[in-house]
Amino acid sequence: MAESADSGMAIAVPTNGRSGSERLFLTSLFTGMVIWLGLSLGLSGLFSGMGDAGTWTVRLLPWVALAISALALTRVFSEVGGGLKFFGNRFRAHAIGWLIIAAILLFIAIAGQPLQSVFDLLGKSGKIIVRFCGEHGYFWAACAILIALGLLAIGVRDPSVAAPGRMERTFVQKLTAKVAAIPMALVAIGVFTGGTLWTVVFSFTNSKLLPVTKWVGFDQYIRLWGESRWIISIKNLAIYGVCSLVLSLVIGFILAALLDQKIRFENTFRTILLYPFALSFIVTGLVWQWVLNPDFGVQQVVRSLGWSNFVFDPLYDQNIVIFGILIAGLWQGTGFIMCLMLAGLRGIDEDIWKAARVDGIPMWRTYIFVVLPMMRPVLITTLVIIASGIVRLYDLVVAQTSGGPGIASEVPAKYVYDKMFLGQNLAQGFAASTMMLLSVFIILVPWAYLEFGGGKNKND
Amino acid sequence: MTDTTLASGPAGPKPKPAFSRRNIIIYGSLIVICLYYLVPLYVMIVTSLKGMPEIRLGNIFSPPMEITFQPWVKAWAEACTGLNCDGLSRGFWNSVKILVPSVIVSIIIASVNGYALANWRFKGANIFFTILIFGSFIPYQVMLYPIVIILREIGLYGSLTGLVIVHTIFGMPILTLLFRNYFTSVPEELFKAARIDGAGFWGIYFRIMLPMSLPIFVVAMILQVTGIWNDFLFGVVYTKPDTYPMTVQLNNIVNSVQGVKEYNVNMAATIITGLVPLTVYFISGKLFVRGIAAGAVKG
Amino acid sequence: MQHSVSIKDLTLAFGNLTVLDSLNLDVDQGEFIVLLGPSGCGKSTLLNCIAGLLDVTGGQIFIEGKNVTWTEPKDRGIGMVFQSYALYPQMTVERNLSFGLRVAGLPKHDIEQRVKRAAEVLQIEPLLDRKPAALSGGQRQRVAIGRALVRDVDVFLFDEPLSNLDAKLRSELRVEIKRLHQRLKNTMIYVTHDQIEALTLADRVAIMKGGIIQQLDTPHTIYHKPVNLFVAGFMGSPSMNFISGKVARDGDGRFTADGVDWNLKGYEFSTEKGGEAGAVLGIRPEHFGVNGAADGMPITFEGEIEVVEPMGSDTVGWTSVAGSQIKFRVDSEFELNVGDKVKLGFDPQRSSVFDEQSGDRI
Repeated sequence: MAESADSGMAIAVPTNGRSGSERLFLTSLFTGMVIWLGLSLGLSGLFSGMGDAGTWTVRLLPWVALAISALALTRVFSEVGGGLKFFGNRFRAHAIGWLIIAAILLFIAIAGQPLQSVFDLLGKSGKIIVRFCGEHGYFWAACAILIALGLLAIGVRDPSVAAPGRMERTFVQKLTAKVAAIPMALVAIGVFTGGTLWTVVFSFTNSKLLPVTKWVGFDQYIRLWGESRWIISIKNLAIYGVCSLVLSLVIGFILAALLDQKIRFENTFRTILLYPFALSFIVTGLVWQWVLNPDFGVQQVVRSLGWSNFVFDPLYDQNIVIFGILIAGLWQGTGFIMCLMLAGLRGIDEDIWKAARVDGIPMWRTYIFVVLPMMRPVLITTLVIIASGIVRLYDLVVAQTSGGPGIASEVPAKYVYDKMFLGQNLAQGFAASTMMLLSVFIILVPWAYLEFGGGKNKND
Repeated sequence: MTDTTLASGPAGPKPKPAFSRRNIIIYGSLIVICLYYLVPLYVMIVTSLKGMPEIRLGNIFSPPMEITFQPWVKAWAEACTGLNCDGLSRGFWNSVKILVPSVIVSIIIASVNGYALANWRFKGANIFFTILIFGSFIPYQVMLYPIVIILREIGLYGSLTGLVIVHTIFGMPILTLLFRNYFTSVPEELFKAARIDGAGFWGIYFRIMLPMSLPIFVVAMILQVTGIWNDFLFGVVYTKPDTYPMTVQLNNIVNSVQGVKEYNVNMAATIITGLVPLTVYFISGKLFVRGIAAGAVKG
Repeated sequence: MQHSVSIKDLTLAFGNLTVLDSLNLDVDQGEFIVLLGPSGCGKSTLLNCIAGLLDVTGGQIFIEGKNVTWTEPKDRGIGMVFQSYALYPQMTVERNLSFGLRVAGLPKHDIEQRVKRAAEVLQIEPLLDRKPAALSGGQRQRVAIGRALVRDVDVFLFDEPLSNLDAKLRSELRVEIKRLHQRLKNTMIYVTHDQIEALTLADRVAIMKGGIIQQLDTPHTIYHKPVNLFVAGFMGSPSMNFISGKVARDGDGRFTADGVDWNLKGYEFSTEKGGEAGAVLGIRPEHFGVNGAADGMPITFEGEIEVVEPMGSDTVGWTSVAGSQIKFRVDSEFELNVGDKVKLGFDPQRSSVFDEQSGDRI
């Protein structure tokens, strides 16, 4: 099938005339599917204000898209001019495949309920299949039939004369690869895009225990910013974020520079510096909770050495508790930053060092004025990694302080969890997580611009 | 060999004192920093081997006067979370039950995805991939609830299978990236030659790509094993107390407010939980570094 | 006269691996020395030792009469140009040139003057405000040379400076380096694996292999009187023909091999007479006379053409004699056809004879 595309003849034939209806066919088909997805994720709630009529409109919407697509298909048939020919059709096998899918979906949709006992043999998944097909089987069967007909329509074209059209490129070429990529597409569209949109949309509702579609505009956000617990969370995150960002970069770079001095036992040092990174935040938090325990830990040990007034109990002091968490966070993460920096340092041309030595530039000046600027890409990547990790800060706090003392060490991620799963105040959680999303965008967009948009002059 | 005579003055290697100022600074600071990194591990081990009376005496840094393994036994088999008093063992086995299928499923799916992206480029694939990569930076909190709904819809909320699906989903961006980059680096001629020889999508994947990419599979495994084992958030959101993974159970044991705090048991439990990723770390060595460097985007 | 650079018994070893072995080299004032050899022969290592970038295991290095064996690179009075240019990418050309001088704390006026002069010599004045990323390969290499120039030193070290450039630029910059040398008259030590660069630039070439200088001489001598089989085979393209056989040292000397018996009258033996011994006769492809041109040659033989390789300016034909493959070079106008018989002749005076065992010239 691919060979025909490569022959010179095929390319010479103009294809614009018919690609219009083919494009319409495909676009409306996919639009129908996307609408279906949106509605299935619960976005139909957007139309709930319109009452019964609204519900019906919503249900019909994907079908409208399919109808448009069917109309476009008739035009494709008339443009190709071969009529519905089955035998001798190039894409007969493909069409049969799609028809079989449609048949199965329809069968379960119609006969699923009566035959429930048969499907129960499949266990839980049997129930799910029957339920899914009962609700959505007709729609997807219609999609499959449309695709089958579409393929039959263009299958009568002579491949040695006509270049493959949109249909063929979408549903025939590299089909296996496309099927194999379905999980990725589902996750990207269904979970990452759909899920994110869903949360944002529902942050404008009044959902409490269950998501409901009572719209309240920005009320949740106003309430959010009026809550002292959220303000404290944001403040904590800001302090932790700035300190952690600066300190991890500085410490990570210094450690990497130390390890880069062609020292002995480099591997041993690296192993020791990196091992905390293999541990979970829970383990990290619990260990440091113990080490910083005022009755047994560092404070007590120093006091027993004679400084009986020594005070170091960050986890029990509201004002500095976040620094107690910072200590643990840095302990866990700086080894990793060091590894990234070290990789960056090792990527620097050896000749640069030699040139600097011949020029008589002291080592620290070479690091700061020559090497550091050269590591800009690594630094930016590291920055993004640290930043997006900071926003997620959760496990460590839960393990080390559970947000205490009082609410002194709360962080946004914990706020979201507590509101969603403990406080039965879903919409507050949605609003808070949307704010987190916003903050990540503020970090991510400039980075993406630097990395991909403004990256034209970096292939030096 | 030659009869040249060396002139007086410096000759041969430049003398380098073992204790030059430079060396003292470098090694000195490295050793001090390493001590800081090692102290928590040391304290953990030491505490877990002491009896409670000895701990109450005070110094967490002092080595145990009397070594006891009782805390370890208790942590494993008797420690209580709420009403359950069967120790960490349940959490451990739950974690294993989550870990094994999650690692296998996520790696299979991601490797096929990466292969499709790298070698069978088709229109639209990169859009999905870009969404995936951007998605990996989005705070999980944003997607937590929609996934609860999806899992509930398909009847898997609260089950281990549900958590396996969640781990597969959130492991996908980084693993796909890892495999895509690796397969892209495989010479394209090899792929073309196989196509000319008539191999199809799966033929090339199983007979050419798989045998060539064992190291990257190991890297992916290391990444997933440590990542999934250390996960807390998904465990606490998507499972029930019966199916809690080890990290969640550990946190519940240590931070439970009831009863007297048994620090030695807590520390023993903490070590046991950290043991799996630590073992992976110490065995895999350089591969671990490679894995996390490749997984840098994960954040 | 005092040598500009003098290396005495230099040894460098990494653990058990000896890279340079008791190496001696004297470079005269203003001389252009090229270190040539295959990769891994130790030529770059030697240069790095001279620069002070590698610590030596044994021996001494003198620059301008001063023992610099333990001296820091910046204090050795050398400037160095690297293969990868090694320009500081975040600095402008002007900054690149002046960075070392600023760090050394030279007066501002002095720095300006030196940069200006270097830029003038290398014709990079219009580029002073640009960053390296905005320069072409050739321009970057000029800046790299400029960075060595502003240091106002006696000895220039070049580490394969042209290897990253394409063929055309390479030949252009080659000429420029030669001009620069003629103008500045500094001592230059230049490492390359490209024999054309070596032959065109050098006053003397040092051919290295296995950490040892095999031959140190003018390009002409190296090409025409190689001291051993390695040098003979390394220099020249297409490479020298080798015919294995025996040499008898009675009278003018006789070379015998499978089916041939040639009188080597005119060949200047460099060793004392001895008995018959295994030997290798080496003849450069361009030293053959073909057909008519072969008539006046002292030694002639006939062969059948097996392969013809047109090279553009000339043509290389392949035949065989005495069990060895022979290539010969003729003008491209000359018509060669596979299967034709040719008559080849050569003058023993222009050939080389090597001992089969040691590979040394006899």
